[in-house]
Amino acid sequence: MSSHSESDGGDDIDLAEGIDHQVAMVMDLNKCIGCQSCTIACKTNWTDGGGREYMYWNNVETKPGAGYPRDWEEMGGGWTDDGSERTPGDIPSEEDYGAPWDFNYEQIMYEGSDEPLRPMDDAADWGPNWDEDEGAGEYPNSYYFYLPRICNHCTHPSCVEACPRSALYKRSEDGIVLVDQDRCRGYRYCVEGCPYKKVYYNAMKKVSEKCIFCYPRIEGEGPEGEVRGPACAEDCPPQLRMVGYLDDEEGPIHKLVNEYEVAVRLHPEFRTEPNVYYIPPFAPPQHSESGESLDSERIPRTYLEELFGPKVNEALNTINRERDRVRRGEESELMDLLTNNREDKYRLEVFD
Amino acid sequence: MTRSREMWLAGAFAVLLLATAAVGPLVVDARPAFEIPVEAGTEDENLDNVTAAAWTEVPAASVSLSTSGSSVPAADDITVEQTSVQAVQTDQRLYLRLSWPDPSVDRSTRAIRSFADAVAVQFPENTSARPPIAMGGSGNLVNVWYWSADNTTQELLAGGPGSTSRFAESTLVTDATHADGRWRVVLSRSLEASTGNRTAIPSDADMDVALAVWNGSNMERSGQKSVSEWHYLALGPGPQGPPYQTILWIVAGLAIVGSALVTIEGVRRTRGD
Repeated sequence: MSSHSESDGGDDIDLAEGIDHQVAMVMDLNKCIGCQSCTIACKTNWTDGGGREYMYWNNVETKPGAGYPRDWEEMGGGWTDDGSERTPGDIPSEEDYGAPWDFNYEQIMYEGSDEPLRPMDDAADWGPNWDEDEGAGEYPNSYYFYLPRICNHCTHPSCVEACPRSALYKRSEDGIVLVDQDRCRGYRYCVEGCPYKKVYYNAMKKVSEKCIFCYPRIEGEGPEGEVRGPACAEDCPPQLRMVGYLDDEEGPIHKLVNEYEVAVRLHPEFRTEPNVYYIPPFAPPQHSESGESLDSERIPRTYLEELFGPKVNEALNTINRERDRVRRGEESELMDLLTNNREDKYRLEVFD
Repeated sequence: MTRSREMWLAGAFAVLLLATAAVGPLVVDARPAFEIPVEAGTEDENLDNVTAAAWTEVPAASVSLSTSGSSVPAADDITVEQTSVQAVQTDQRLYLRLSWPDPSVDRSTRAIRSFADAVAVQFPENTSARPPIAMGGSGNLVNVWYWSADNTTQELLAGGPGSTSRFAESTLVTDATHADGRWRVVLSRSLEASTGNRTAIPSDADMDVALAVWNGSNMERSGQKSVSEWHYLALGPGPQGPPYQTILWIVAGLAIVGSALVTIEGVRRTRGD
């Protein structure tokens, strides 16, 4: 899928060929408290049964960590460096996603056992979010942060390209990537082709399924017939997500992504061109044994580069610079957008 | 050379000629390369049952399989190289019984990484024209009979790779068993085309057919499959059977004897006998 650019005097905005507008989301990782409200909002809306039990279209994982599914970053998919050819990928196993554990209900409920209710045998050796809050680093300089993930509704989606039946497609009106449930024959090339492992196989329905960016909600088919942001965004207690269109040049997403370039893509080296962007995480500086702050960053830049590519450096530098301006009592449009000016956090009714 | 020796040689040639004509058809299957023979049957033979006794009397054609040339990942990684096909036509239905080696039985698609064993038979939608082998073409559709070990039986219509779609209601009947390291599957359908885009199976003309097999444990699905070239079901009255073969073998035998005699005569003359 090739892309085209829209430029009205501003920065170029790459949209996929044949797409009128592109939905996008910016998540500020500095606000995420790992409460999983987004995960549950998504689950209760879309994946609470019918073969979807293991699916978390929205998940929040601790980084550094193996994530969901386990070690998804090592499973291939996406494109080669020049973006011309797809890279082979793997289909995760049930165990990688975190298969449900068997509990000793039988013994406790019917056999009179005094054992506590617990997973049987060695069933509990992995699960979604198993390594929550582990992170990395040594006391007193250990570190971790939370990484919420949904489908990136990529501009150059390798899942779409992977399907030999064109069952996956980008909606022309807003670039949301969907699986045509009637065309899908359950081959799972999309599952192995997505490097973020955000397409899931429903073994009960024998088709693949994925995040739909809550399109009924953004079309006004949600509660009270109002246009609403995706449930993961609206249910977030710290309201860390902004939702809008990448090509809405008056909106905060365009400003954060294209003007200030402080919102960056997760694993840009996969070359799928995600439309979910992240404000990279800050952490307190490292501490000495005696508790003094040192002039050294707690989360290693090298690690953030692994996750977000080299652009994360300039993003962090820009935010630092703007924070200093605010500390000096100066105005900063960027820091306003990230903190108190949240009027446009869901800006969805700008195009007809 | 004495006259008696010449007589002996001529006798030997005559015997050789007879032997070639008589034995040749037996030692070499002279069936045209892409023919799948079709037996006439009756509806009381229980042919929908894959283990029905009637199937033991039906001749089997061996069909070679190879990769499909599809662009899906690992399309060249296939495991089944041959399938045997038996065909019976009654006055109402066409029955096909396929059998191929597969030591692993993959019946389930209930695990995320599991794929089921499967088989498919492809026919032209319009039997007067041969469509492109890979799922037909946009102006030249194919019907596909599909059976999968996860209890799926589907009648499909396709007009090129990636266009496969299900008929709303499958009229296909299947039965399958796995024993001695082989799948045996019977697929049958009525001869009539009950709705548009369904192949009407002729009784008086040959019909093209192609086969495909998937091995689930090798994660085979879609274009990662073992496929045949176009073959044909010998439903028509075409040249076949012993008389045709015998004539061919007599011609071949005469040619061999003739060229041998000419060679011997040439050697004799050179020696100046």
